[in-house]
Amino acid sequence: MPILLLIIVLGVLAIAGFVLGRRRALASVEGNTRRLHSLPNYYAWHGAIMAFLPAIAVLTLWLIAQPLIIERQLSGYFPTEQFENNSQRILLMADVRRVAEGLDVAVAAGALSETDAASLSADGSIRERLAGVGVALGADVTPQVLEASQAYRQLAANGGLWRSVLTLIVAVAGLLYALRITNGDFRARNRVEGVILGVLIMASTIAILTTIGIVLSMLSETIRFASMYPFKDFLFGLTWQPSFQGNSQLGLLPLLWGTLYISLVAMIVAVPTGLFTAIYLAEYASPRVRSIVKPLIEVIAGIPTVVFGLFALVTVGPFLRDWFAVPTGLGSSGSSVMTAGLVIGVLNIPFISSLADDIINAVPQSLRDGSYGLGATKSETVRQVILPAALPGIVGAILLAASRAIGETMIVTMGAGAAAKLDLNPFEAMTTITVKIVSQLTGDTEFNSPETLVAFALGMTLFVITLGLNIFALWVVRKYREQYE
Amino acid sequence: MYDAPTPETRLTQNTTKITARGVQVYYGDKQALKDVNVDILDNTVTAFIGPSGCGKSTFLRCFNRMNDTVASARVQGEILLDGENIYDKRVDPVQLRAKVGMVFQKPNPFPKSIYDNVSYGPKIHGLTRSKTELDQVVEESLRKAALWNEVKDRLNEAGTGLSGGQQQRLCIARAIATSPEVLLMDEPCSALDPIATAQVEELIDELRASFSVVIVTHSMQQAARVSQKTAFFHLGSLVEYGDTSTIFTNPSDPRTESYITGRIG
Repeated sequence: MPILLLIIVLGVLAIAGFVLGRRRALASVEGNTRRLHSLPNYYAWHGAIMAFLPAIAVLTLWLIAQPLIIERQLSGYFPTEQFENNSQRILLMADVRRVAEGLDVAVAAGALSETDAASLSADGSIRERLAGVGVALGADVTPQVLEASQAYRQLAANGGLWRSVLTLIVAVAGLLYALRITNGDFRARNRVEGVILGVLIMASTIAILTTIGIVLSMLSETIRFASMYPFKDFLFGLTWQPSFQGNSQLGLLPLLWGTLYISLVAMIVAVPTGLFTAIYLAEYASPRVRSIVKPLIEVIAGIPTVVFGLFALVTVGPFLRDWFAVPTGLGSSGSSVMTAGLVIGVLNIPFISSLADDIINAVPQSLRDGSYGLGATKSETVRQVILPAALPGIVGAILLAASRAIGETMIVTMGAGAAAKLDLNPFEAMTTITVKIVSQLTGDTEFNSPETLVAFALGMTLFVITLGLNIFALWVVRKYREQYE
Repeated sequence: MYDAPTPETRLTQNTTKITARGVQVYYGDKQALKDVNVDILDNTVTAFIGPSGCGKSTFLRCFNRMNDTVASARVQGEILLDGENIYDKRVDPVQLRAKVGMVFQKPNPFPKSIYDNVSYGPKIHGLTRSKTELDQVVEESLRKAALWNEVKDRLNEAGTGLSGGQQQRLCIARAIATSPEVLLMDEPCSALDPIATAQVEELIDELRASFSVVIVTHSMQQAARVSQKTAFFHLGSLVEYGDTSTIFTNPSDPRTESYITGRIG
């Protein structure tokens, strides 16, 4: 039974559980709803949930487990050394799956009978026969692959049957259990509440689990990198010179310097501008102006960064080169720290202004009244009362913006160049960690040389920096949060 | 139900400090205050009483033009401080507020040290020439606010760390540090417990010697205890204004009597 059909059947069972659960609850109290512990709909939802949820859980587990089990069973068809190598196994299994799917299509199209498909032998004809029904096979089909794919079809068909049977049994059992325990005293409301709690907890765990997964995968690859390349040289090396023939020099410092320098320029642009924008919007602008200006500023946040990159490449870079770098003799490159920094700064303005605006608005009006009541002007009030009170939140906003600037990729790729340099001149092309991660991984690469694996070590470095900044931001916000309460 | 005014708080003849003539206040299209005429005397505590929403706080905020900070508020009529119209174009509201200090309903110390809270006004107005002088002003203000003995050893601690009553006295000290001529108090005790209230009330009576004090209150006992003059507001109009003892013992308007005996409000 196809999975879609199976899910539809589960849905029908759930509706049945809904109707029957309600009916049974009402019947148990002779239609007098006041004698029920919960509202009738709770019994209905309980019936539907019990029919649907356990069954769908079983189905999900089965779908995850089946390929793993089949893969293990097929190991007998291949030499062990081939199967132990991770990448070769993945390729083999992809072949097997492709041939099996081709056979499925051929049988469905009538080009092969079911017995033909099962007894087909690996002569040259299989490629043509499958091509005839529109399935193109890449490599030649070896006898092992064909046999394995025939076995695969068999196992998958069996698995599919048992999957459906088991799922339906669980669904019906859940439904019957729900109906059996439904009576006037059963606390369906509490049970449904528990299920809702579970769903909410699961939703919040997904993000956390994903983060943990990302960290673990980066960590394992970083450790592999460290086993191939001295980690001390990576952390403290002053030269970045990857070469795929070997003898690479993979020093982090030039990239780290570029990243921090560009972020610094970006923050010098974004922090004052964003902060002043926020102060204007929160303290000075009339509601009318505010309702127009605020969305307009936030439009910037909606522009894709690659468009900003174009802007940096085509407009800002040449402008800075022709009007500042060349006349002052500081350089002749359109791509520079200044270009990327300025554009990232502009990108971050709405981020800071929006957050800071909310934070300034959260400062109690009573503090403003107190200051105005003493004869302070608006700017004195902002400077001496509002900003100090809002400082923790503003620091948090700035640090969040900084981690965004550090992680920015597209603008730097297009605006800052690709040369890894340790230089103080802001009109010189430099590059960042993110750019190098991309350039080490683009193209046809295998993850087995230090030149590619270094991308994970770089990613890990970036993650540690932004994580540190975020933790620091949280700490600042938490430590000073209650100041004006 | 209220204490009779004690002999020493009885009104002595004083000069007029503030004169309000035909004051009308609108919030948008809604009229909050209708044609109010009042003379506030110097060295006197004047209480504004009346049910919620009657316009007494609005009127109080006219005296230091705090209504200017509310975008929708419009004030008509004239208010004279020492014979000078404070709504005149030449008057800078920022300068005015240094002369007419204000204490708010909820204690609102700045999230700064006690010292910085009190020195805030003198600093922004440049009232002192040296650090020693500023120290003196801070000490004097805190003494006048009856807070000095409690905080003299911890002037550098946060003002927000004080108790509610201490915070309100800190706000009073902050207001009198700019040496104002008038002190406006908008329900200064409504967020305080009875002990702190008693301390603040005692303080208000002492402050009368140096300032003209105008206090808005919901507690009629408080009005009777601390004030020499009382104005009763109802639905945006000034109903009755006179000596506190007269208002509370022999009101001329039936609405005043209904309010102070608890039948309306």
